Amino acid sequence: MSDHVDLIIIGAGPAGMSAAIAASRQGLSIVVLDEQARPGGQIWRNVEQRRDGALSTVLGRDYAAGAELVDRFRACPADYRAEASVWHIDEGQGTGGGKVFYLKDHQARVLEGRCILLATGAQERPPAFPGWTLPGVMGIGAAQVTLKSGGQIPDGPVWIAGCGPLAYLYAMQLRRAGGTIAGFLDTTPPGRLLPNFFAFLQAMLFQPAPMLKGVAWQLALRCTVPWVPHVAALTADGGDRLKTLTYTTTGGKPVTVEAAHLLVHEGIVPGTHPTLMLGCEQAWSDAQDCFAPKLDEWGETSLPGIFVAGDAGGIAGAQAARLRGELAAVAIMRRLKPSAVAERDAVKRLRSRLSRIIAGRAFLDRYFRPREAACLPPDDTVICRCEGVTAAQIRALTTNGLGDPNMVKAFTRAGMGPCQGRQCGYGVARLTAEITGTHAATVGLYRARPPLKPITLGELAVLDKQRTEA
Amino acid sequence: MSMNERAADTLVIGGGLVGAAVAYGLLRAGESVTVLDEGDVALRASRGNFGLVWVQSKGDKMHEYARWTRGSADLWPEFAGLLAQDGGIDPDYSKPGGIHFMLSEEDLEKKRAQLHRLHNSLEGQEYGAEIIDREQLDAMLPGLGPDVVGASWSPHDGHASPLRLMRGLHSAIAAKGGRYVADAKAEKVERDGSGYVVRTAKGAFRGDKVVLAAGHGNKWLAPSVGLDVPLRPEKGQIIVTERVRPLIPMPTHVMRQTAEGTIMVGDSHEDTGYSDASTSSVVSDIAKHAVRCFPALGQLRVVRTWGAVRVLSLDGFPIYQESATHPGAFSINCHSGVTLAGAHALALAPMIARGRLDASLDAFHSRRFEHATAH
Repeated sequence: MSDHVDLIIIGAGPAGMSAAIAASRQGLSIVVLDEQARPGGQIWRNVEQRRDGALSTVLGRDYAAGAELVDRFRACPADYRAEASVWHIDEGQGTGGGKVFYLKDHQARVLEGRCILLATGAQERPPAFPGWTLPGVMGIGAAQVTLKSGGQIPDGPVWIAGCGPLAYLYAMQLRRAGGTIAGFLDTTPPGRLLPNFFAFLQAMLFQPAPMLKGVAWQLALRCTVPWVPHVAALTADGGDRLKTLTYTTTGGKPVTVEAAHLLVHEGIVPGTHPTLMLGCEQAWSDAQDCFAPKLDEWGETSLPGIFVAGDAGGIAGAQAARLRGELAAVAIMRRLKPSAVAERDAVKRLRSRLSRIIAGRAFLDRYFRPREAACLPPDDTVICRCEGVTAAQIRALTTNGLGDPNMVKAFTRAGMGPCQGRQCGYGVARLTAEITGTHAATVGLYRARPPLKPITLGELAVLDKQRTEA
Repeated sequence: MSMNERAADTLVIGGGLVGAAVAYGLLRAGESVTVLDEGDVALRASRGNFGLVWVQSKGDKMHEYARWTRGSADLWPEFAGLLAQDGGIDPDYSKPGGIHFMLSEEDLEKKRAQLHRLHNSLEGQEYGAEIIDREQLDAMLPGLGPDVVGASWSPHDGHASPLRLMRGLHSAIAAKGGRYVADAKAEKVERDGSGYVVRTAKGAFRGDKVVLAAGHGNKWLAPSVGLDVPLRPEKGQIIVTERVRPLIPMPTHVMRQTAEGTIMVGDSHEDTGYSDASTSSVVSDIAKHAVRCFPALGQLRVVRTWGAVRVLSLDGFPIYQESATHPGAFSINCHSGVTLAGAHALALAPMIARGRLDASLDAFHSRRFEHATAH
């Protein structure tokens, strides 16, 4: 028997799990592939293991609440395959769905689906300031992964630089876990509240609970840790590892302090590699300052039968991801089983809950929009860490009318390393736009190529097209 | 449409490896040159190049091609030096000799016969490729898999970085005063007195001569200058691994280690039309073959795989020609943009600068297809 299913869901976070639960209710055959050992995604990483432990107190109630969805996901009939990393997707030549190639237990496997749902989440907006590649500097997302998986926190006082909900949340979690914060360098530019006051009120109205929580975090942090507002520029120094950092506030003079750990965060952006590789049309989101795949109201991409749900389709958070997963499930069910009818009222309810969350989101997008310098760093900043390409090397390419990220890649090797341009994609797009006097939206990102996830030549070699799975 | 100010001696349509090498050669010959390049939507066969400067086994059915290829390999050391000097970018060329693995005694015998034919074709010029057995091979390249029974080896083979070559050519073109116009896809080539006008999205450009080096685009452009260029697309797939310590001291026909330390694995031939997406089954076959030849590669992480569309004539050999009805209009097509870069810059370009292709290139005219059918 060849391995054909109705629906392949990639990612077992809030969107993937919700879609699996909803679609399996309709009797579709579903396989859920996820690279982690347990369901939950990034937001609820390891939540099953942490259910009653002290750590869930550290991580907070929203984290612990994920266990309920994980339980329902475990109980649903979808075939969940953990530690399965998807390295390639072949779309079905316009006929809908496609083939998903994944690696599990060092075995390359293939699975064919009539529909594919990408619930692959977001990534941190890559940092770009001089010295960010030094050991001792880390993204808050990565720091949170170590906290969730092993309960680990950095050893010694931590500087935090950045802005956005995740930065404040992690600072709170770090303190609860017994960590020390040397200082919080808030990079939110001054004067953001007043012009966005209407959006603020709207957010308070539609999303009172998370908004109040966010305000409370900020107040608590401002009162208890050294707080530096309006940080406009940052440099990390120290030779072989971080020893000092220098920050400059808007209109201020540079201040240098000793630092052993620096955690940075400038918000998150959709992970676009799978949809870019597939050739799904992308759209620039001015509000979120990033690309996201073009989706219809159900989450279907420009390719038939290929859907996106959750933050991979635009940042809106875990609650929205659950709703978008369910909406995608409805559309997929309609497509594959036209005889079954979804409750119109249920769809209406999903949409209305989703629109309230999106309405509340606008404030966060505007208030925490990354400052320009976070996107257009000075010359001595490493843009591509894998290949060691600096902003200066890219800016030097002004001659001869070169102005395309793929050309920059071909000429500088930026984006050719193991991370495949996930770290430098936006940096190169921004710099290319600067060189050519256009906008990142028109420049676009690198073309994405397989493998999406690491695979060895040997593993690739044993991929058997005719292989059948049990 | 308004005319773009300066007229050039020669307009080169296409800024890939072929067009750029010819443009560089023309500039070296003292011409003023304008390169009209399509935007990044172009198929960019150049980026799919594997980077071999390869002589052995080429031209078995067309001895002029065997000689032309060998001539290019002989020009490569000088060409690489000139490029580094003029453009400041070294194309990472080296000529350690190249190996073609044989996985059965039967293949080995076939290769032996082929090398004999090629040797005879070169009219006294020593061909230099030879069959070596497993024992000799182990001394040159330790770590081969048990299935490799022997190889053919040629001291004239080498490799270069296609990306650095491309960048080096563009940089040298700029340094020599050449003009490069991006996003200027040629829409039409028209006669203009004794010269030509090329209409593009960026305006019209005038030159005394015009060279069509637009890869697959030549098929559509050539009829306007009275030429016929029958081409077919062929997809090539390439895999690149992570960087590793020096493992493979010389290029082989299926894998080579780059100056950066990555290992490129390639060699597939599919007829898939003009799509350059990667296809997993083919990529897997390439990986399988590479690991069979060289088991240690199995441990390496794949960083990237990609497909690119090669430009092949119906018989697979290059097309070099001048139009009989439109003097001064030339068309060039080949799939070995790296191997032949030396010849394109230092042998072909001077002929175009003189305004006539030498008789030695007659065999490459597309009139050879007049009675042929596509295969």
